[in-house]
Amino acid sequence: MSSSSNTTAPVASIEVKDVDFNYGKSTSLKDINLTIHRNEVTAFIGPSGCGKSTLLRCFNRMNDFIPGARVVRGGIWIEGVEIHSPDVDGVELRRKIGMVFQKSNPFPRSIYENVAYGPRILGEKRKDVLDAVVEKSLRGAALWDEVKDRLNESAFGLSGGQQQRLCIARTTAVDPSIILMDEPCSALDPIATAKVEELILALKENYTIVIVTHNMQQATRVSDRTAFFYLGELVEYDFTQKMFSTPSQVKTEEYISGRFG
Amino acid sequence: MQTPHILRDFDQAISTLRAEVISMAAKSRHNLERAIRALLERNPELANAVIADDDEVDDLERRIDHLGMEILVRFHPVATDLRLVVSSMKISMNLERISDHATNIAKRAKKISANPELQDVTLIEPLYALADHLLLDAISAYSDRNATLGASLHARDKELDRMHHEANATFGKRIEQGAGRSEDYLHLILIVRSLERVGDLATNIGEDAVFLDAAKDLRHESNREL
Repeated sequence: MSSSSNTTAPVASIEVKDVDFNYGKSTSLKDINLTIHRNEVTAFIGPSGCGKSTLLRCFNRMNDFIPGARVVRGGIWIEGVEIHSPDVDGVELRRKIGMVFQKSNPFPRSIYENVAYGPRILGEKRKDVLDAVVEKSLRGAALWDEVKDRLNESAFGLSGGQQQRLCIARTTAVDPSIILMDEPCSALDPIATAKVEELILALKENYTIVIVTHNMQQATRVSDRTAFFYLGELVEYDFTQKMFSTPSQVKTEEYISGRFG
Repeated sequence: MQTPHILRDFDQAISTLRAEVISMAAKSRHNLERAIRALLERNPELANAVIADDDEVDDLERRIDHLGMEILVRFHPVATDLRLVVSSMKISMNLERISDHATNIAKRAKKISANPELQDVTLIEPLYALADHLLLDAISAYSDRNATLGASLHARDKELDRMHHEANATFGKRIEQGAGRSEDYLHLILIVRSLERVGDLATNIGEDAVFLDAAKDLRHESNREL
């Protein structure tokens, strides 16, 4: 699948080819083609109901849990493997592709246990290994200094912004290669938002990140490329700088400059 | 842009900004026209009016900057809207300088008019005509979003440069000949230089209009194709 077999490292992390997606009989995504590049932040923007979150949820097959929801045409390749092929296990896929949601959703456990949960599920029992993973993940999420003295306290005692960064730490603890974020800052205040955005920029060194956002400024601040969706179609996909300065499509310009509807 | 913005305030702010730039352009051009007329018609009162009215242009420059900043802060414009704000602020700076040149010309016109009539003053006319034409086209390129017209100014300004050199040589020769009006000829040399600068500033405005319409930065480019 990877188009550039002669290059040393494939730049594509996710390849979407000719994808149509249905919820029951209604089509939510039509003929989607795009390549998500490795170690980049890609933003999905578009009005509510345009299909951006649906596509995000296709990447880790979260839509499998919705009756009647499925990719009816085309395919999605993640690091060269078509994710709907029978030998791909959904659970293993979701380990490789972490997800952070709009509302932070820590488990009703301690800060430590939230981060250690994933590695434990994967069979890790050694205390010293778990300690190291927890510290590394919390440091990676820029949260360690704030919580290192209260690791055994409930995660619910953290602020909204800290909870969201804890969820990011929990995601990275199982060593995924891709992190999907569905409006991760929409419930956060501007300071907490800035910290998460700073974190996103730091994380892209090691992860490929796809973020759905309704905040255009956020897309311009954190993403390398932006995809604009409208009524289930991908209208334009380009470098963020280009999209927000000289978009090619009139529809994109209208949407990003607030001349819409 | 045809489709109205969701926020009516935004559309209003953008149209006010454009209107202020166009009004400032009209004032600067009018100042230049009156300064030249004060010189040709030996009219010190008209020259005084030009000098006094420069304040209005300065006020407009401040207003446009303020309005542009407000739009940036309140609405975070992008794409064409962002380019309109940025180009408007830059154009107002160029227009303010043009009005300054008009003031300089008016001041020199007063001094020349205090002396007996000097026939060579009429040599300024064709230079002014071309500088004014370039300025008018630069403003039209902005107001009509005409990148082609805006991009044409650079090449046309070369003719003004050539005329500038020619006039300089003529006036310089008069000074060398010791015709007894060295000071007036020096004023004329500096007036011609102001007009040459107006051509440069009109070219800058043309480049800003290209940036607005076609999102291309032609400054300092040898290849000036759109």
